[in-house]
Order: sequence, then structure tokens, then C-alpha cells
Amino acid sequence: MIDFVKTRFLKIEHRYFPSVGVLGSLIIIGLVFGFITNKFFKLDTLAGIFTITAEIGMVCIPLALLIISAEFDLSVGSTFAFAGVLGALLLNQRVNSFLVLAAAIIFGICIGTINGTLVTKLRLPSFIVTLGIMFILRGLLLVITAGFPVSFKGSNMLLFVLNGKLTGEFRMSFIWLILCVIFFHFILNHTRHGNWSLACGGNVDVAQAMGIPTSRVKLINFMLVGATSAFAGMLSFARFGMAYPTLGEGMELEAIAAAVLGGCALRGGFGTIFGASLGALLIASLRVGLVLVGAPAYWYRAFVGLILLIGIIINKEIMRQLVGGEQ
Amino acid sequence: MKEASRHPLLEIKNVKKTFGKVIALNNVSFALERGELVGLLGDNGAGKSTLIKLIMGIYEPDEGEIFFEGKSLRGLSPGQRRALGIETVPQGGAVVPYMDVARNFFLGREILKFRCLKILNLSKMHEESAKMIAEAGIRLRSTYERVNFLSGGERQAISIARTLYFKGKLMLLDEPTLNLSIKETDKLIDAINTAKNYKIGIIFVTHNVYHVFDIADKFVILNRGNLVGIYPKDMVTPNDLIMCIRTGNPL
Repeated sequence: MIDFVKTRFLKIEHRYFPSVGVLGSLIIIGLVFGFITNKFFKLDTLAGIFTITAEIGMVCIPLALLIISAEFDLSVGSTFAFAGVLGALLLNQRVNSFLVLAAAIIFGICIGTINGTLVTKLRLPSFIVTLGIMFILRGLLLVITAGFPVSFKGSNMLLFVLNGKLTGEFRMSFIWLILCVIFFHFILNHTRHGNWSLACGGNVDVAQAMGIPTSRVKLINFMLVGATSAFAGMLSFARFGMAYPTLGEGMELEAIAAAVLGGCALRGGFGTIFGASLGALLIASLRVGLVLVGAPAYWYRAFVGLILLIGIIINKEIMRQLVGGEQ
Repeated sequence: MKEASRHPLLEIKNVKKTFGKVIALNNVSFALERGELVGLLGDNGAGKSTLIKLIMGIYEPDEGEIFFEGKSLRGLSPGQRRALGIETVPQGGAVVPYMDVARNFFLGREILKFRCLKILNLSKMHEESAKMIAEAGIRLRSTYERVNFLSGGERQAISIARTLYFKGKLMLLDEPTLNLSIKETDKLIDAINTAKNYKIGIIFVTHNVYHVFDIADKFVILNRGNLVGIYPKDMVTPNDLIMCIRTGNPL
């Protein structure tokens, strides 16, 4: 009987244990904001949280896969903003809607390819490479727009498909997020690429000795991050009908915080898509909750930092208790 | 197949390797047959690890040749040598800590459901790895267990079971008993004996003569990159070998 229980217990993926921490934090935040203001659990507020979750989640979920393979991408915020501005400029030129979406995603893939190639071929640290790309893209964006937002006047089917209102304040972006979670969960847990990503982060020497093309695996993950960051940028543009050159500033840190809160090990080899999406939900709840309780805007960053620190301490303790001492 | 079986499994001929002015290996030659276990002995700096890396394909010899089933390995990558059946079990085993046993067992050679979509057949991977691990005489609680819960000996035993499953022909064990308890060492020796029964040629690198003496068929002793001697087991005692390693002189 004991053996049976042990065997069943072992079948539960240990990578899910840190999600308990982020789920607990989410419940606490919900209770605190719910207690302070009765608006927090209203449908419109929840819809707003889901909309923001979708934009952060679309970035942090593939980023979690990249972190699991032991790399980083700090250029996601700039890619996010650039893709939105690109989409707005192209739509204003009356380019076919779906060509606009394709162009934005291809742009994201190109950025991912540049990041991935520099990291894997030149063996440069991803932190520095993507920091450089982040500044280059942000600078170019300001040059192109002269610092002004690019707006799109009129209606377009693409804007509805990306982020139109479904019912009440609930938007299409939430459906895109769910599809994104399912897709990346499947990739990580049920495909050879996911297995190889875990191996690249867990022990790159063993992965190479087992014949895994580690550079190719990481390059693909960079490309996926680029593609979805660009897609998230298009979601944001579709929400406002306007693209700001400063949009997505600080998003890279929010996305990394969400992935880490969700249980991704910063040195790679460990983490879940489910956890990362809960991390995105936590950050979005915090953002909306602070606005509702009337906290000054400047407090938001401080709270994210605080939650990140508390979350990481809880995660570490859970990992130590349940996963084993090596984490 | 018949052509291959006429040659020794592995033949090392007059191999020399230098790193700058340091001569790591000098004119080393020996051969290994199928199902034979060679204890590769020597003190630190003897050239044991360099020789293993030459066979793996991490380094190429400066002079001399390494033949596997009669064919030169020169120019082949570690991956290509692995495809030929040369498997390495490094210290701590070739495993990734946070992945479960089955995922580790099939790492790089996963069983796929839909080959074009590269989807893992996880149930088959667990089933097959559990069967092979049990066949190799290794007792594990579950193939769902992550390998960082396993002992060093169990991790190495998984690598050995993997070699058996993928029909490896030559297994290179690099200091496999280092840091293992007595019980763990016994378990590992059992797994190595199982591998011998599968007619796998084995090179067992170690400092500890007693760990390899019972299971080896012959001993190759290196000292400062030079071959001291090749001794069949029935001609020597453990003390002879220890003396030979200590002095660096042939018996």
C-alpha cells in the first residue's frame, strides 16, 4: 500500500510544486484587495485583470521556456512595443490586415533569431546581448516615431480578432492566452523540443554528450519568445487602437518576475508553463488592485519587487522541502 | 558483420597525445575484445582520462590510430562515435538532475508517437526504461522519480542500463566508483557484470585496484603517459598491480 502511494505520488510532476506558492500569493492578494475595495471581484475588474494577464502572459510563457533552457531575453519589452508600432504604421498604409499581423510576427522571429544567433554562435551571455538589442530597438522606435504615439483611425477586423470585446469587458486576448498556455505546456511536457529544453538548462554538458543540438534548441526558444512578444505587442495595439513607443518599458522585468514567481529556476532546467501563467496573473492582479485602492502609480514597481522577493523565498522553501536539496 | 567480428572491438595503436610541451600519452597500444573488461589503472596524471577522451572523440591523437571494429575513428565526432556504439558513463552518470528517470534514459533518443510532430510517447518510455532497468538488476522505486533523488551509484547504473538498451558495444566507465559507498559500489559492480553478460566491451578507469580486480579480465597500467604493462588477471594479484602503479615499473 505504501509503495503504491509512493509510486502515485512520484507521478505528480515535482515541477508543479512551486505553483503552490504563487497560487497562495494570488489568494492572499485577492483577499487583501477584496477586503479593501469591493470593486476587486467585480466582473469588469476581473476582465481587466485577464486582459493585462494576456499581454504579460504571452511574453512570460515562452520566456519561461527560454529560462528553462538557461537563457534570458531582456529585449521582449522593446520587441513588444516595436511590433505594435509596426502594426499601426502598416495598417495606416492600408496593408492587408493579416499581412500586417504576419509582418509583426516575422519581425519578432527575426529579433529572436538575432538574439539566439549572437548567444549561441558567438557564445555571448544572453543577458548582455538582449540588453543591447533592447536599447537598439527602443532607440530606433523613438527615431521612427519621434516619441509620439502612432494611432490607427477606423475599424479593422484584425483589431477585433486580436483583442475585440467578447462580452462585457472580456476580450479576445484572454482566449489567445489560453491557447498560448496550452500550446507551450504541450511543447514543454510532451514534445522532444521540451525535453531537450529541460536538458539544456539542467546540464548542458550531458545534453551535448547525448547528442542534443543545444544551440538549435536555444535558438528556437529565442525565436518563439520573439514571435509571441511581437504578437503581444499587436494585442496591446489592438486594445488601444494606438501604439506607444514607450509601451512595454519594464515589461522584461515583469515577465521574468512572473516566470520566476511561477517556479522557473533562474539557472534553468526547472519550471512550468502553468506556474508562469499564474505568475502573470499575480502581477496583473497587483497592477489592477493597486489602481483600485488608489495607491500612487509609483508604488506599483515597489510592490512588484516586494512580491517577487516574498514569492522567491516561499518558492525556495517549497523546493527545499518537496523537490530536494539540489535546487 | 562478419568482417567486423574478425577485428578486435577496440584497437589502440601507438597513440600519442601532447598538450603544448606536456606529453599526456606516448606510444600507447592495447586491444579490447567483445565482452572483455579492461581495468585501466594509473595514478593521477597517468593519462587515463586523456585516453578515454581520445576514444570518445573529444580529442584526436597526434600520432597513432584508434580502430573500432577494424575501422579508424579518426575524424568522427563524439555523436558519430556514439552512433557506432561507443557509450561513456562519466562520474555521476550521464544524467540531467531535474528530469525523471525515463526522460533521462531516452535523452537524445526519445520514443516518439508522431515522428513528424516529435511528440513523446511517454508511457512507452516509462514502460521500456522500467523493463530494462529491472533487467539490468537495478532496483528503483519508479521511473517517474527525478534523478536528483537517486544516489550516485543508481545514476550510473541508469547510464549502464541505457547502454544495454541501445545495444552499445563499448562502454567507457570513467572513475565510476569515486565517492560511492561500499553498498553503492556493489550495486554498480552488479550492473557492470550484467553489461559483461551482454558481450559489451568495457574500459573501467579507476585508482582503486580492489574495485575492478574481481570483474576485470585484464589490466592496462599507465604511468605519466607511458604504457607500463598489460596483465591478464590470472597472472597478477591486487598487490602486484598496486606496486606497479606506485613505482611505475613493469612487473
